[in-house]
Amino acid sequence: MTMQLNKVVINFFLIFSFGLILPCSAETIDAKAIITAAMNQWRGTTSHSTLSMTIHRPDWERTMTMDSWTAGEKKSLVRVLKPKKDSGNGTLLIDNNMWSFSPKVNRVIKIPSSMMNQSWMGSDFSNKDVARSADIIEQYIHSLIKTESSEGHKVYTIQSIPKEDAPIVWGKEVLRIRDDFVMLEHTFYDQDMKVIKRMLTSKIGMMGGRMVAIQQRMAKLETQNEYTEIKMITAKFDINVPDSMFSLSNLRNPRF
Amino acid sequence: MSIIFRLAWRNLWRNRRRTWLTAGAIAFSTILLVGWVPIQFGAYDIMINASLRVFPGHAQIQRRGYQDKQKIRNTINNAESLATSLRSNPLYEGVSVRAQGFVLLSSGTRSYGAQVVGVEPKHEGGTSSIPGQVKEGRYLSSIDAKEIVIGRALARNLKLKVGDEVTLLGGGKDGSVAAAILPVVGIFESGSNELDRFFSEIPLHTFQNIFSMGASAHTIAIIGKSVDEQTKLISALNNAISDRSDVIVLGWEALIPGMKEAIKIDKVSGFIFLGILIAIVIFSILNTFLMSILERTREFGLMLALGSRPKRIAGLMMLESALLTMIGLVIGFVIGSALVYWAHVEGIHYPGVEELAEQFNLPDMSRIYPQMKVFNFLLGPITIFVATNLAAWIPILRIRKLEPVEAMRTI
Repeated sequence: MTMQLNKVVINFFLIFSFGLILPCSAETIDAKAIITAAMNQWRGTTSHSTLSMTIHRPDWERTMTMDSWTAGEKKSLVRVLKPKKDSGNGTLLIDNNMWSFSPKVNRVIKIPSSMMNQSWMGSDFSNKDVARSADIIEQYIHSLIKTESSEGHKVYTIQSIPKEDAPIVWGKEVLRIRDDFVMLEHTFYDQDMKVIKRMLTSKIGMMGGRMVAIQQRMAKLETQNEYTEIKMITAKFDINVPDSMFSLSNLRNPRF
Repeated sequence: MSIIFRLAWRNLWRNRRRTWLTAGAIAFSTILLVGWVPIQFGAYDIMINASLRVFPGHAQIQRRGYQDKQKIRNTINNAESLATSLRSNPLYEGVSVRAQGFVLLSSGTRSYGAQVVGVEPKHEGGTSSIPGQVKEGRYLSSIDAKEIVIGRALARNLKLKVGDEVTLLGGGKDGSVAAAILPVVGIFESGSNELDRFFSEIPLHTFQNIFSMGASAHTIAIIGKSVDEQTKLISALNNAISDRSDVIVLGWEALIPGMKEAIKIDKVSGFIFLGILIAIVIFSILNTFLMSILERTREFGLMLALGSRPKRIAGLMMLESALLTMIGLVIGFVIGSALVYWAHVEGIHYPGVEELAEQFNLPDMSRIYPQMKVFNFLLGPITIFVATNLAAWIPILRIRKLEPVEAMRTI
């Protein structure tokens, strides 16, 4: 009950922070609200985007194009468009459950939790990174550790430490978020508080009517010449996405 | 024959019971030492052989860096032709090419992460015991058959029977999605829980197709004649790949570093046992010598009075000690090595090991054959000889302090 209530309160707070507090004074804003707002900025209530993902290795590189739909924090669907060999492969996420579909075998497979730390589609993102990106709001304790000004924007640095009972492998995460809620940097620390990997935004622009990170790169700290880069090609936000979009039958037989 | 030697020999047999007791203690510990080390090393042989023959082999050829980062892209090009050229050398008993990948195996609603290995069904039996351990169904039939064999525990977890289909989902060498549906033709029990729980094998060419590997593979496993010839095996392999800079040879010590550590620890505990045994022998000899010198104070006094130098008497005592030790050593060595030789030929039978070995598909594990090596045999006796003679010094030093007149008065 309290959880539910909390959520309602948070949602209220969110709406307020978006609509009211933000224009008045950014000083009063708290760390959790910034992260929540950044997540919302990135996904909207619903979104449909086309993006490309480049996996780079010193001796090898591969680019895939995919379509992605999201609704709220909990539901998303990704489908590969190019290259032709992998076209039609899809991933569906509902809460923290993940399903994968491959047209080669025409089967939907549920990814077991033991595989969530494996790489997603051969990239530097783990299945967990893809599935749990919204978990950071509830499962961490956030604190604003720095506010600075850069290029006419305020930039908040937020430290997020997992709650005691949260099933998180990281020691902490540090996010840098601009005052228009574009995520600039997301760093993952291990339990010894050593930097393991970092996602950096290299290009920001208007897309689908809002300011978003257009190009982001994820790399492990030790191997900077191995990275995965995500580029947004088109994006629409707050559009009508039917709930049946996020179903196993739609994962198998695309209708949208 | 010098007079000292004759004196020493005569002195020894002046107190027969004492001499035989000491010699007996030495002989008994020599038997233990002569038997212990070869049996211990023989057991290591079995341990090493048993685990290496299940899957890893005595040595492997891999692409440089594959051992540390077992990524699907770290491949050996034209692995099969390299393996074929190796097979002409009779030094290798088994040579087999393998490709390995990590996949998600799924049967209907159940999915588990698993290792899938592409193998040459015709050659895999030469390097791995898994083909012989298929308990249900059969092993893979040909190099391009569309079929899979999986471990018992994995089959149970996935609720699979022989004849059922399993879906395999992973990433190919080119980064594409690798997926296939294959019928389970066999279920194996390797004896290793780890392998049975997350291991599966499919034919090599099928693997190369699914994972877009072309003609490449990840490892070539090699079994030589015996673990003892490891150095010979490694240098022959290094010669064979000298024209290829992309691959390296790794011996089992590098492939399974844990096993070498385990043996090292066991060796240390074995040597501690040996150390205690030797210490007991030394003290018993020390005791005998001390007693004999105290007993013979009067005699030494007389010898000193007659003009013998303390050095000469010390020499006499040393010789007595050496002779006594030699008697014990020879008796112990003859009995000990005869026992070890008998065990080496016949093997030591442990009740229960036979069933265990059969289960693991390891016929040569049913008996322990002690290692017949000069070093193993002589290590114990030489240590005893050196140690006892050092121990003899302590009472001998007393002789130098003796005053002839006073010594002669003692009873």
